[in-house]
Amino acid sequence: MTPLLAVPSFLLLLVAAPPAESPKPAAKPYLVPYRLTNTNHVLVRAKINGKGPYNFILDTGAPALFVVPAVCEKLGIKADKSTWGRIDSFELEGRVPLKDVRVRVEKPFQLEGMNGLGLAGVELHGIIGYPVLARFRIEFDFTKQKMSWLPLQFQPPDPHPLGASANPPGMDVMVSVLKVLGGLLGKQAEAPVILRGFWGVVLEDGADGVVVKTLLDGGPAATAGLQPGDRIVKIAANNVKNLDALQKQAAKSAADADLELSIVRGGANRTIHLRTIKGL
Amino acid sequence: MKMRRALLLVLCISLWAGPPARPEETPAKPAAVPFKLLPTRHITVQITINGKGPYRVVFDTGSPFSLISSKVAKEAGLSAKGGSSLLGLNLFGSIEPVKARSLKLGAVSAENVPFLVMDHPTVEAMASAFGPIDGILGFPFFARYRMTLDYQSEQMTFVPNGYEPTDILQALMNSLMSQNKAEPRLLAPLGLWGFSVEKEGQDEAPGVILSKVLAGGPAALAGLQVGDRLLILDDRWTDSVADCYAAATVIAPGTEVRGIVRRHGKEMEIKIRPVAGL
Repeated sequence: MTPLLAVPSFLLLLVAAPPAESPKPAAKPYLVPYRLTNTNHVLVRAKINGKGPYNFILDTGAPALFVVPAVCEKLGIKADKSTWGRIDSFELEGRVPLKDVRVRVEKPFQLEGMNGLGLAGVELHGIIGYPVLARFRIEFDFTKQKMSWLPLQFQPPDPHPLGASANPPGMDVMVSVLKVLGGLLGKQAEAPVILRGFWGVVLEDGADGVVVKTLLDGGPAATAGLQPGDRIVKIAANNVKNLDALQKQAAKSAADADLELSIVRGGANRTIHLRTIKGL
Repeated sequence: MKMRRALLLVLCISLWAGPPARPEETPAKPAAVPFKLLPTRHITVQITINGKGPYRVVFDTGSPFSLISSKVAKEAGLSAKGGSSLLGLNLFGSIEPVKARSLKLGAVSAENVPFLVMDHPTVEAMASAFGPIDGILGFPFFARYRMTLDYQSEQMTFVPNGYEPTDILQALMNSLMSQNKAEPRLLAPLGLWGFSVEKEGQDEAPGVILSKVLAGGPAALAGLQVGDRLLILDDRWTDSVADCYAAATVIAPGTEVRGIVRRHGKEMEIKIRPVAGL
């Protein structure tokens, strides 16, 4: 049972792939936003026929563009007997247009396992493999916020199938077991989000801490009575020495939170009660 | 329970915590590394480990771990425990975390490169069809570089970028063993934008609607108005309220970014610069 953790995270897939279509040449690279999942997979988003966005993993180990059947069903994408379908428009975030793309309508056991156990922290809808990746010169750099995708005038040749025997034996059964385990533990594919609450205050780092620069009219900070020049020294019982520390403390509170701020105004200590709202 | 006990054992032998050493000796200029494609269009490269090899491995951006076969692990002296398996569980090899003191991939040299010793069945199936393949080079290796991938010229390039990949084996084990539901994802904008957005449940059109634009804030200065539909912020789709926050979590105060809004049916580009604050 030892390899069960490792195996669902690998995306090394073997299937037969039909031809892909060449993209229109463009002079400069597209900038494609991405994020790393909890499993260190490179995730990009794409819209299929204008719907979505859906979450995809970039995988040189996959010989096709995979989209899970649930999404295809919702979008009315039909698959033939060998699970191949066709989508009119596949647009990657960063305005990368791909037209008339062949797609494998299938849920590889790796996706099933990761979604079932909530391992990636995000629901995965598919995998972008070789036929799409090969049409670009792609730069990966995890110190940057966006990838660079330069379109190539290149019609990638089709992959040859290796055969069904390549899939790890009994993997489907193992994944079923893992899904049950994930269900028992209450695992979700998509982690819930918390949106930080809004204060409506422009701040700067001063010599002795964080100083209020200006207040936005009608914002919670103005309503609470903060004034330009006030120095914020504490949120609840937590000291905040600089803007960075203050941001970290503030990030713990969503909208509609009541916060007690300790401030210094004209040399005197005061307490201010601020109620956060929605906004950014 | 048996599974969880086995998983716990894996947890206990997870020895490669701690920051990996940065690659050294690699030139600052991009090091070009040619690759070969298998008939299945998987990328293969030749690597040497601790001066042994070369070994052919699959290069896989979809693998969060690098794998090496038990045979090569033994040959290159990677197994600290002499290759013993875990309580006789040897289904796919010992799944032992090890580190290669040195790894060479063409002109690229790296040190302390983590691998798992694992005989992956898919790799073995490929090897039996196409000749020896001894593992997978995955995220823990390539994340250390600014890497380009070009199937047309069958070449990759590498420049060290100082990025230090995290050891996710440990985190994944914790997540797997934990009774808790998924940890919430906290979306905290880095700067102050001065607007709020909303979206009704049945609204499936792209974008979110600006419900508030605070006077004097960056959004107001950018000309945004209540009722505008924000479609894109800094190349990112803002199709949900959470999307909008997610975009703002990576844009530092003072950075001017472009956005697309729809107003009275017309798309227009805006430029907006968040400020320090919250």
